[in-house]
Order: sequence, then structure tokens, then C-alpha cells
Amino acid sequence: MGSAEQDEYAAFKEKVRRTVFMDNLSPIVTESVMRTALDQYGTVKSVEFLPNYLEPQNMPRCALVEMEKEKQAEVVISTLSELPFMMSGMPRPVRARAAVPEMFGDRPRKPGRHLHVHWLDPSDPNFEVANKLKQLVKKHSTENAVMLKHQLEKEEKLAKQQGETLKANYKKYEMLDTLMADGTVRRLARRYNFRISDDSGPSTFH
Amino acid sequence: MIEVDGTEDLEFKWGKKRGIGGKKRDVQFYESFTFDGVDYALYDNVYLYKEDEPLPYLGKLIKIWENADKSKKVKVLWFFRPEEISNYLVDGLAHPNEIFLASGDGVGLSNVNPLEAIIGKCNVVCISKDSRNPQPSERDIQMADFVFYRTFDVGLCIIFDKIDEKIAGTEAKFIFNLPNFSVDDKNARENAIETNGRVSLTKPNSSEDQIPEDDRQEQKPVVAENLAPNDRQENGFNYKSTSDVKVSSVKPNISQREKLISGVLTDSVGQAKRDDRQESTYGNKTGFSGNIKENANSSVEKIGHANQVKIDEKLKSIKDTSELDERPYKKAKLDGSVKVSNDKESSRHPTDPCRTAKNCSNKLKIDDKLTKLTNCKTPAMPPNNGKRTGEKAVEVTRMPVSDRSNWFGEIPWEERMQDAHEQGKLVLFQNLDPAYTSADVEDIVWTAFKKTCRAKVLQRTAYSSSHSVQAFAIFDTREVAKDVITKLDKGCLLLPNQRPLVVCIPNPCFSRKQSTFAGHLIVDKLKSLREMKEAVSTSHCSQPNTLEYDMAMEWCLLAETSNQSWKKLYEQQWKEIKRVKANFKSK
Repeated sequence: MGSAEQDEYAAFKEKVRRTVFMDNLSPIVTESVMRTALDQYGTVKSVEFLPNYLEPQNMPRCALVEMEKEKQAEVVISTLSELPFMMSGMPRPVRARAAVPEMFGDRPRKPGRHLHVHWLDPSDPNFEVANKLKQLVKKHSTENAVMLKHQLEKEEKLAKQQGETLKANYKKYEMLDTLMADGTVRRLARRYNFRISDDSGPSTFH
Repeated sequence: MIEVDGTEDLEFKWGKKRGIGGKKRDVQFYESFTFDGVDYALYDNVYLYKEDEPLPYLGKLIKIWENADKSKKVKVLWFFRPEEISNYLVDGLAHPNEIFLASGDGVGLSNVNPLEAIIGKCNVVCISKDSRNPQPSERDIQMADFVFYRTFDVGLCIIFDKIDEKIAGTEAKFIFNLPNFSVDDKNARENAIETNGRVSLTKPNSSEDQIPEDDRQEQKPVVAENLAPNDRQENGFNYKSTSDVKVSSVKPNISQREKLISGVLTDSVGQAKRDDRQESTYGNKTGFSGNIKENANSSVEKIGHANQVKIDEKLKSIKDTSELDERPYKKAKLDGSVKVSNDKESSRHPTDPCRTAKNCSNKLKIDDKLTKLTNCKTPAMPPNNGKRTGEKAVEVTRMPVSDRSNWFGEIPWEERMQDAHEQGKLVLFQNLDPAYTSADVEDIVWTAFKKTCRAKVLQRTAYSSSHSVQAFAIFDTREVAKDVITKLDKGCLLLPNQRPLVVCIPNPCFSRKQSTFAGHLIVDKLKSLREMKEAVSTSHCSQPNTLEYDMAMEWCLLAETSNQSWKKLYEQQWKEIKRVKANFKSK
């Protein structure tokens, strides 16, 4: 049993090294989108989306992408951390990180580990301490939930902000476009003795 | 040693003297000092403030003295940030927080600075695989502000892997980690108990205890071979007992609270006032251990009480951190967030927002963190192993496999969970060690309750805690589930590493509908264009000259700031846990 376990674990560790953890994914991203997106960096062996049972539902999704080689995984991570990568929409970029074993749902047991448990007697002085710890744990999980909520709020705020800036910019560009198109600009240029070149105007939101 | 007043002056107090030097024998060298409530010792790693620089300098104190004219000076051996030597950094970084120690000869190796330039302690862990270097644990590396293992020779402008016998006149053993630095080092705990008195220099330094040189010029480094293991001076203490390896920045009015919780020694009190940016490193070495023993008992009770107070406030304070606006800043003129968003030229790199964001959120945490609690020192406890020595400790046995195979052969987990939840058979276990697998959880339940269950450990996502994991468990019947919950709530099942198993009834959400996603924008008018429709199914890297890129940068910044906030939150939680854990007495 020992060495089979160890082999399994070693293989698992290797898989972890080859895997990229991606988050900030939009809910409409599907496995095929991910595969096409990351194919340019190497062969994608599998894509697994992480289920989200306890966190608020409008959290961005995360996924584990297993590449064929560790080097490919590294390339993905480094490219995505240098340039923002958009998937199925903009401008929120997706993030990529190296995966850790805890991210995997079904992982093999680490060989050679022994667990002990024991029940604490209420008269044991450590009982109180342990109870405190329990309370602490619960407190922490509420804190985490609050923090998460905050984060989502912040994200939405930013998105809204950007939406408005975008609209404003778009309007600006549109206006410039129309001005160019209907000749106003040319007329004004003649009036003020400006020279304008004849290209078709600023690009729209790209 | 705790200055409890709330004045604006930065308190200063010399620590242990080292010797006399100088041409006229009028220079007093020191081994330690307290500045603005923080204890520093020789060979500590510190942050230094430089006018107009957005980021503080990182350095190691290699000499401390006071001149005849009462001016206080320190000689600092510099660390380089990767950006500072990017031209010579061919291979890339081994670690995102990697920095480089200056070595060799020449400008930029070290400088003499006024002591007042120091703005905080810095937790730098040496990850060199050198045999002289006490190896850090994963936890140490995670908790460190920075790591290093390479040096940058300022004369040759080359990065070296090996650390010589001496750098800037300092022996290699003071460059490597000091023997008691590790969070997880159980032996260190025992050592800590021995240290008493105010002096930080305990065993490590006996050999260095020479009268310092007469001249204060920079010394020529000695190029040499390898040396004995290094000790880093920072910790005479061990960490499990003190449980606040990092003294993170603190509310300004902590000092008042400190009066409430008298007798609890913390270095944070002083830090409350000035610890602007950093989580300074390993808490106080010195005087505390002695004082701690005296105050141990009283402090423990008071900690408990204070806990309640803090719980509510911390939640509130965490909410406060959502405001990214500028906060008043003591010394440094860091305006991280503002700078980055306005600064289009300097960095397109997500890593730069990261850096400034880090400082930014550090700044925020000053007022928000209730580290008073986390900084409480508790008496050093004898080491606890993973195995409990109590007579009731039971080794976890595997659940009978036959039972397992009977279970829900092919139904996918999610369906099972949904059913179980409706029937009341689903529970959520918390506070499990991250290394546990679903099988481990099942085994634990079997051993403790003699009941079988199916468990699934929750996968870690971007924001989940790294201290512990949670797991769903489905029991046979609702009664069994209820029974388990009652037993665990009333009693205490201790897992290895003093983790009590916590259980609750979860409220999982199974609906998959998620129509909104913050961050993806569509210009209405363009919606109909064919290109837009295609764009949805494609992906691309954004180029720096587009609006989209700028917006993406804003998202990156937001992501980094929230990363930092999470990191801090988890660190704080970790500290709290450790503090409470320190109260465990072994049998």
C-alpha cells in the first residue's frame, strides 16, 4: 500500500505543477472557450470549473486548467500576469496562478500521515480553550463572508464606473465621427486655416 | 517598556550597550533600541524612509551607535528590490517577494543613516539552501514580507547565489535566519523561555560580543568561504507563544485600549502611532519574556475579555477598509492608489499596481486592525505535537471500505448534496487542516462517532482561507447528522494541531443562474454588430494603447488591493488563532 500511495501522490503533485488556476472568469465562459483561449500556449488536457456552493452567486467563476507540460503552465501564468487577457468580454481580465493541491477536489491522501483525534473532557482546562477556538472559527467565517460581500460590492462599483466612463468616451468618439463625416470639421478647418489630413477619424472603442 | 501615552513624539530608548568606540572613545555602540514603541536589534531588517521615494528602502542594521553630540546613527546594509537591479536580473525571480542583499564592494552596499529614518521592522526570511541557514517552513515563507537567498554585488554588478563569509563586515551567520526565527519551530519555543531581561542578544551572539571597532568607516568585506549557521537576531522569542509574528499596523487609539487591558505587553502599542506601512516582523524579542511571566495570568483572562470587545469592532473595521481613500499618513508620503491610477506612463504592469496597492492597503490597515489583541503576548507554552498525549487520544482509523462502496454508487456529488440538504443530512465541517482529503474527513468521522458518512472537501478558491478548509459531509439519516452536530457543539473533538472540529448546517446554493458579471462592458450601440457577437466567444490579450487596457489595469489594481486585504485578514485571523492556541496546556 505504501508505495502505491506514494506513486499516486507523486503523480498528483506533478499534475498540480502542470495546472493553472484561473479566476475572474465570466459565467458565460465555457470549457471550449477556455480551451481555445489557452491552446495558443500549449495543449490543454482538461478544464475543471470549481463549484461554488457557499459563496455568493455573482462571484466570478474559477477553473483549473491542466496543461500538458509544466513549462506550458508557467508560460500561461507569466503571460497572463504581464498582459491582461480578456475572455468572452472586456475589460475585466482573467487571472492565472499556479495551482496548489488544496484547489483540487479529489486529491489522494498524502502518504505517511497519521491522524489522531480525541474528545476533550469538559473538566479539562483545555476544554475552554478549545471552545474559544471554535468560536473563533465561526467568527472568522462570518468575517470572511463580510469581506467577500464587500469585495463584490467594490467590483460592481468599479464596473459601473467604467461603464459610465466608457459611455462618455463612446459618445465623444461618436460625436467626432459624425463631425468628421458630415464635413463640419472640414469647414471649421478651412475657417481657421487648419490643415487636416484625410483619414477617417479616431477609432471607436476597441 | 510600553509607552502608553499618546504623544506625537516618537519615543526612543536605548537597549543593550555594546561597547565604546570612536577616535576619542566617545562613541557608544548598542545592540538594541526601542524607537516609537518598536524594539529593534542589531541585524534586524528594517524599512527606511527616504524623502520623495514612494517605496521605503529595505536594509539590515549592522551597526548602531550614538555619537558624542547625541546624534543616533545606524549603519544599514541594503537590500535591493528586483526593480532596482532589473538590468542584471537575467533569470527572473524565484519568489514574488524576492529581494537581494547587497554584497561586494562599492557604492550602494551600505550607508550610515540617522536612526530616525527607520520607520519599521521588516520580516525578511532567508530561503537560501545553504547549510548554515536555518530553513524556513512554508508558513514562514508565506508570512514573510520578503524573502531572499541571493546577493547583488554592487562592485561587479552581478547576482550571486552563494553568501560569503562576511558581507560588509558582518558575519554570514547574521545574514542567514537566526535560529529561533521560525513560526513553526517547536524547539524555538523552549529557547524563548530562557530569554529574559531586556536584551535581545541571547545565545547567538556570544561570539560576536567584541568591542566594536574604533573607526566607523565602512569596512572592507572579506571574501571567503562558508561559515557556521547563522542566527538572525530578531527573535529571542518563539512564535507560537507570542503568536504574533508580525506586528501589523495598528489603530492609533490602541494605547487607550491598552490601558483597559493592562498588563498585556504588546509592542503594538507604540506601533499604533507610527507603524504606517508595514507589518513589522518578528515581535519583540527582548524584555517581554521576563515581563510576560509576571503578567501571564492576569493577561490571559484579560485577553479573553478583550476578545469580545474586538470581535464586533474588527468586523466593523474590516468594513472600513473598503474605503480606498487617502488616510493621514505619518511620515512617508506614500499615495499609492492615487499615484497608480494617474500614472499611465510608468507602469503597465499589473505588478506595479500590486506593489503600490500593497503599500496602500498597508496604510489603510493602520487604523483598522485590532491588532492589539493579536499582539498580546502569552506565556510560552511547552511544545505540542500533532499527537495529543492525552489518554483519550485515538488514532484515526480508516472507515470500513465496504460501507463506502455501498454508498450512492454513481450519483454525482452535487445531486447527493442537494438531496441530503433537503433531508437534513448535510453538515459542514470547518477548521480542518488544509492537507486533509475527503477520505480523511470520512475516517475522522468514523473514528470519532463510529458513523459513516460521505465527505467532500471544499476546493480552495481565490479567496478562501489558507489556514483551514471546510468539508461537506452527508450522513445516513437526519438523526445521525443532528447527533453529530450536538456532540460537536457541546463537546470538543480535537484534531491534530489543536484544531477543534467545528460543525454547522450549511446553506448551499445550487442554482447555476448567474446572469450578471461585474466587469464586462458592452457598448449598447455596438451590441448588434457582428464583431461584438464574435467577441464574446473569443479571447485576446489586450494591447497597451487601448482604452480597454486602461480599464483592465484598474481591474488589476482592484484585484491586487483585494488580495492584500484578504492576506491581511487571514494573517490577522491566524494570529488570533495562535494566541488562543497558546493557552493550551499539555498534560
